[in-house]
Amino acid sequence: MSAEGAIETIRTLLSAGWLSLVDYLAAHVLLCLVPAFVIAGFMVSMVPQEAVTHYLGSKASKWISYPAAAIGGFVLAVCSCTILPLFAGIWKRGAGLGPAITFLFVGPAINILAITYTGAAIGFDVAFARLSLSITFGIVIGLIMAWVFQRKRASQPLQDKIGGVFDHKAKVRPVVWIVFILLFMVLIVGTLQVNLLTQTYISINLAYEISPEFLAGLQDAGLTIQGLLLILLLGIIAFIAWLGVENVLDKFSSWSYTAIIMVAITILVAAVRITTGSLEININGRFVGEFILLTTIGIIASRSFSKGEIASWMWETWRFIKQIFPLLIVGVFVAGILTVLIPEVWVQTVAGRNTIWANMGGVLFGIFMYFPTLVEVPVARMFLDLGMARGPLLAYLLAAPGLSIQSMLVLGRIMGRKKTALYVVLVAILSTVSGLIFGLFQ
Amino acid sequence: MLNIKILGSGCAKCKRLEQVTRKAVDQQGLAAEFEMVTSMEEIMKWPILSTPGLVIQNELVSSGKIPTEAEVAQWIEAAVRAS
Repeated sequence: MSAEGAIETIRTLLSAGWLSLVDYLAAHVLLCLVPAFVIAGFMVSMVPQEAVTHYLGSKASKWISYPAAAIGGFVLAVCSCTILPLFAGIWKRGAGLGPAITFLFVGPAINILAITYTGAAIGFDVAFARLSLSITFGIVIGLIMAWVFQRKRASQPLQDKIGGVFDHKAKVRPVVWIVFILLFMVLIVGTLQVNLLTQTYISINLAYEISPEFLAGLQDAGLTIQGLLLILLLGIIAFIAWLGVENVLDKFSSWSYTAIIMVAITILVAAVRITTGSLEININGRFVGEFILLTTIGIIASRSFSKGEIASWMWETWRFIKQIFPLLIVGVFVAGILTVLIPEVWVQTVAGRNTIWANMGGVLFGIFMYFPTLVEVPVARMFLDLGMARGPLLAYLLAAPGLSIQSMLVLGRIMGRKKTALYVVLVAILSTVSGLIFGLFQ
Repeated sequence: MLNIKILGSGCAKCKRLEQVTRKAVDQQGLAAEFEMVTSMEEIMKWPILSTPGLVIQNELVSSGKIPTEAEVAQWIEAAVRAS
């Protein structure tokens, strides 16, 4: 290959990475991700763990502990560093091996970030399948594990000495639930494709012509005016957050207020439809809905939450963003490049059709590759673009977050090889089967 | 001298907890040795469900959240009084 050829190839690859990045930072993805991060931060800071762990103690009946373990991940497990101690705690001091396994499997798969992001980037059919099947399987796998190893759990030495951990009850104020529902509606209004929301009610024509050259340049970069605006806003938020959220627990400064307002503005900008050309802003139902919701949340939050509570909400949100977003951007960029590099034929031969081997392939890939939180989604999107069938895709998404070489090693140390092996086999089989069934309905 | 343990694998919350605790200790003009317990096996010996956990003078006072400086100050006072 000549030097020019090599440079040309590198340019193609970089532009493929860039385009997939632009695609991911587009309005509809941001309308999901921004509220999802805020909700994740909200749950961690406002809903105390005891609200869920109370139902996971050793005295809880099966009918309560399994569902609580499955749904508990939604509230408790947004951060992977909290999963293992909770898992070990539920197993040894609480409801036992079964619910602990349920929690372990469901936790990373059903957190709000993973589900909404899957919905926005791949499709809500896959997202809902991922949510409901993860919960079902988590419970089934937990029950099987508990049944197989039931005799070995005759004594519970730890339980009586320090049983108290699960006894704490926590009251969650009603206002927390109200704000939670409103935040959730921000997410729904931002994503639901119904006429009421997508219809334009008022068009505002900014009598400002953008120079055609600038527009052409934008188009070359795969951007729209709105996209450019959103990327700029994200950059500004990152900068302001660094000034006003990083240290918000020590001092609630005017930068902190600015950060809140900027996040609201970003959601609003992502909600409107901007017609390029003569720069027309279309006020649609989405915008109106988001505006009403965000204002209501602002009023309620400022009245009912103390500054300390809001500060910790912001800090937790920012912590998630710092922890997840940089890796996500790298992941999206690399996935974009790989889409060009990997020949479609490979993916289509292995997983192009909904066969048992294709589903198994999806699962094996999920097990052997380790991706940081959420990065499994752009990778799935890459496979979809390369021609993977939706069944194997779901199989991969079910297996990937729960299983990786790394987590298997840690698990092996905590609960021994035998239990870990059975867990892995069960996850692999059930993921394969559900991918297969899901694929039938496509 | 106070012995203070921070239980946690080193995530952002544990660092924050350490900061808060150090501040509370400084404010009361006490001397304390800090121990960072990062190995999961060691952490699981304490009755906690999730990190970060705070142990003052071998007594677990908080887990799963970052307490406020005032709370930590109270626990420290109690520990000093008890010893």
